[in-house]
Amino acid sequence: MRSDPDLAHAAARGNEASFAELVRRHQGKVRGMARRLTGSEAQGDDIAQATFLTAWQKIATYAGGTFSSWICTICWREFLQWRRRQKMEIEFDETAEIIPFDRSADQHEMRMDLTRALESLSEAQRVCVVLCVATGLTHQEAAEVTGWPLGTVKSHVLRGVALLRTRLENANVA
Amino acid sequence: MREQDAYKDLSDLFMVEDNALPAQPFTRQVMSRVRQQKMMRRFVVGGLGLAGAGVAALQLPQLLADWVGVDKTVTEALTTAPTELGAAAVSQISAAALGNPMWLAIAAGAALCVFAVSTIERA
Repeated sequence: MRSDPDLAHAAARGNEASFAELVRRHQGKVRGMARRLTGSEAQGDDIAQATFLTAWQKIATYAGGTFSSWICTICWREFLQWRRRQKMEIEFDETAEIIPFDRSADQHEMRMDLTRALESLSEAQRVCVVLCVATGLTHQEAAEVTGWPLGTVKSHVLRGVALLRTRLENANVA
Repeated sequence: MREQDAYKDLSDLFMVEDNALPAQPFTRQVMSRVRQQKMMRRFVVGGLGLAGAGVAALQLPQLLADWVGVDKTVTEALTTAPTELGAAAVSQISAAALGNPMWLAIAAGAALCVFAVSTIERA
């Protein structure tokens, strides 16, 4: 099986099949990340699609390293652009309020416990948990993607994971 | 212990969700948009290239006319130059050159400059 950097280099030379293989391999992770960040499947998929289109345009700038981290950085930027378009200017800080997603009660009922538990975290915690726990980036990579200090990322992951476990345990008990 | 090992159980739960997403329709959608973008890019670049080639083609007659003019000027200069130089002048130059070869080098340099200017000047 060809490695991600091999496929990326072939895609940079215009090989569409190689890029399609990269999309197939990473779509789950990128869509999951975008869906969890936006709290919406449709908008998450739109962002994921925009992410891969940007990746296709900029594939020549991929300079090796973890492809996941590279594509997640693009996804994060697409998410920020989407948020700016939504005019939701929210500061990321430790005291940030929990941002409720706009969705109907029926849809909410259908959400899995895991997603519901994730949505109960503060946005900064959610971002860090999504990047590190759900997407599998290291703390260092997540800090580079978001531009936040490493210590901040570590602390948000630690608290986020603890809260997530508590919520899941409570959901299982109830 | 790696930092990810501390929450591997949660990571696995998320991974199950991600792996359940059907890859084929999404990949097809992305690739069709990639091809659309590629076609659009080709169309724009090709269109601009053709327009540029058209403009260049329109300039070709004028360019050829100018080139013929330059060619004529150079030919005339080369053919009339020896006749303009009188035999006396030639002998004087020859004498000066024989006396001091540096004059010959200066004359060659000057001739080269005149030739270069006449080639560059297209009027």
